[in-house]
Amino acid sequence: MTMNAELDAPMTQTRPKDKGRKPAMRIPVATVALWVICAAWTVLVIVPLLILFVYSFFSTEYFQTIYEPSLETWKGLFASGRWEVTLRTLRIALTVTLIELAIGFPFALWLAKGARSQMARAVFLALLTIPFFLDLSSRTIVWRAILGQNGLINTVLMSTGITDAPLDWLLYSEFSVHFGMIPALFPPMVLPIYMAIILIDDTLIEASNDLGATPAQTLWKVIVPLSLPGVMAGFVFTLGPALAAWVEPGMLGGGFVNLLSSSIESAYTALRYPVVAALSAFVIGLLLLILAVMALILRHLGGARLALRR
Amino acid sequence: MKDKFSTFDQIELTRRNMLRGMGAVAGTAALAATGLAPRGAMAQDMPVVRAYGVPTAALKDWSPLEASLGIKCELNGTSNDVGVFMRDIMASNLGDSTDIYIFESGTEDILGPRGMYAKIETDHPELTLWERTSDAWKRSPVVTDEEGNQWGVPVIGNADSFGYVPEAIGVDPASEEELSWSLMFEDEATRGRVAYGQGWSYSMPSAALYLKETGKADIKNVSDMTAEEAAVVADFLIERKKAGQFRTLYGAFEEQIQLLTNKEVDVINCWEPAVREANNVLGENATRYAYTVEGYFKWGHGAYVAAPAMERDNVDNIYKMLNYFLGGEYRALQARDRGYAGPNMDLGVAYAEENGWSDAEIEALRATEAKVNRKFEKPFTSTTTPQNASDIEEQWQRFLNA
Repeated sequence: MTMNAELDAPMTQTRPKDKGRKPAMRIPVATVALWVICAAWTVLVIVPLLILFVYSFFSTEYFQTIYEPSLETWKGLFASGRWEVTLRTLRIALTVTLIELAIGFPFALWLAKGARSQMARAVFLALLTIPFFLDLSSRTIVWRAILGQNGLINTVLMSTGITDAPLDWLLYSEFSVHFGMIPALFPPMVLPIYMAIILIDDTLIEASNDLGATPAQTLWKVIVPLSLPGVMAGFVFTLGPALAAWVEPGMLGGGFVNLLSSSIESAYTALRYPVVAALSAFVIGLLLLILAVMALILRHLGGARLALRR
Repeated sequence: MKDKFSTFDQIELTRRNMLRGMGAVAGTAALAATGLAPRGAMAQDMPVVRAYGVPTAALKDWSPLEASLGIKCELNGTSNDVGVFMRDIMASNLGDSTDIYIFESGTEDILGPRGMYAKIETDHPELTLWERTSDAWKRSPVVTDEEGNQWGVPVIGNADSFGYVPEAIGVDPASEEELSWSLMFEDEATRGRVAYGQGWSYSMPSAALYLKETGKADIKNVSDMTAEEAAVVADFLIERKKAGQFRTLYGAFEEQIQLLTNKEVDVINCWEPAVREANNVLGENATRYAYTVEGYFKWGHGAYVAAPAMERDNVDNIYKMLNYFLGGEYRALQARDRGYAGPNMDLGVAYAEENGWSDAEIEALRATEAKVNRKFEKPFTSTTTPQNASDIEEQWQRFLNA
């Protein structure tokens, strides 16, 4: 009998010295843990989401929630163009995440495998953690003095004769919102990818080279698949805060880049909880859709198996 | 009180309190000298009135209150977001730990009838200045509801318009001529150089006022538009937004100051202190706060008593505090530090004269009173809680998303 077969043996099987005794009831720990996790997940995640969804079918009158089911809130969501806020938020969050990935992956690869000096690696890692110790508002508001009509960039451009008039789109535009979010969200993308790449055994890369693979083939056939868990973690860690971004759109968007956070805040000033619920439900629906697409891509690349490997 | 316009009671109160305070200080000093009382014991032993509300109503330094009345005020600040304020009161049992609330007009219409606020006892013995306070302040919609119930005591008020850079729009910096809100919304000279507040309750009524007073739209109540009226205003704002009228939509007081001091914009609908702060950086009259043709966003802050506080043994101190808001010391300090007016401005001038303020400071107090009186003759009085808030907010979103 193999070890697995032993484990799989019926629970009623008893050792000879236990003959004649009533067998004790044994509940596998894994089963109990699974039920506890499921119950906790249901209570803490599923039930609040259901309540949120139900709430979106109520309405608000004079700062008071009317607990009568109606489609008024959902109709208003589309009539006022609020649903566009969710699409705009998703579009900007995904764009920023993809830009981060495009910049962050090569940087993480260089940091993990290309940087020969331990000192250089330590310095760059320290630099990546510095933003966590600084207030985001303070970091963001600095850009206004640089990107504004009378800011540093426009002053340089005009004094050197490159432009005759200040470039308005540098500030209070989608450009400036993207620009402000990219440095803020760089560490959450880079650090998980770096952790995944540094764990790749160098002998695998050497074996690939020895077998005649080009650097590009080694990258696509060895490094990218093995770093996918880090890429997915970086994707989620960047996309989440980008969806909830409030500081950068507020300070750099100049009110013209109306994202989810400010739309919810506006509804909240009139205590329109059903609108907040409907917006949240709509975003959750779209997020589930994105996660499903990501899961399909991951399965296609074999990443799901990799993510679960020990 | 025989003469409701007399300053006698206020002066007498100040003198009495000063003597009482001097006695207390002398006593404490004697105890301290013998080593029996620790430093600061007097302040620690003072009764406390706990307040929750907007920090605008707070004095920059509460020590004059402590010296005058022998009570301390501990104010927990909140933003001027009415949703957050009302949620805190309705959902957090704030009245169990708070004596008074201080907020912009409108909440009393909802929280009063719902039992969160206690009605003001206008005959309370500690409310000595009530009788002499003019009805324009004490019976205003800031502190009463539609049925006339008295839910609060007026604290401060002002009439908001817009700040502007005189040089940029070709106006004499010393001029006090009335300017049109068209500078905010339609003037070709200011296109692309205007900052507009991002909150619907502050910004949308000003646009409605402009449309109504210039005959461009038929709006019955600017501060509480119907869905149809709000849609007309939103259409106008969308058209102006697409024409490039607004440089930015700002969100915070600090942004108001920054936009003016950086000269990022020439016109901004903002709070008056933002202009003061900008001038502290740019120099006197570098920016001005407009007198307008069409009217103002008139607002007031009221102090409201938490209903559960009336069951506690601090009611006399609460009413002393309410009375303080009507008195000269608070009025003078608020006008000097923030430029805000309020009831019994004459007591503020009397306080300044008694306490050796400079002629320029006293004159500035008089100017504040004159300024507010001039502005308050025009429409409109704002509210944070319009009946049609949901519709107005919905239309504002349409503007933001256009």
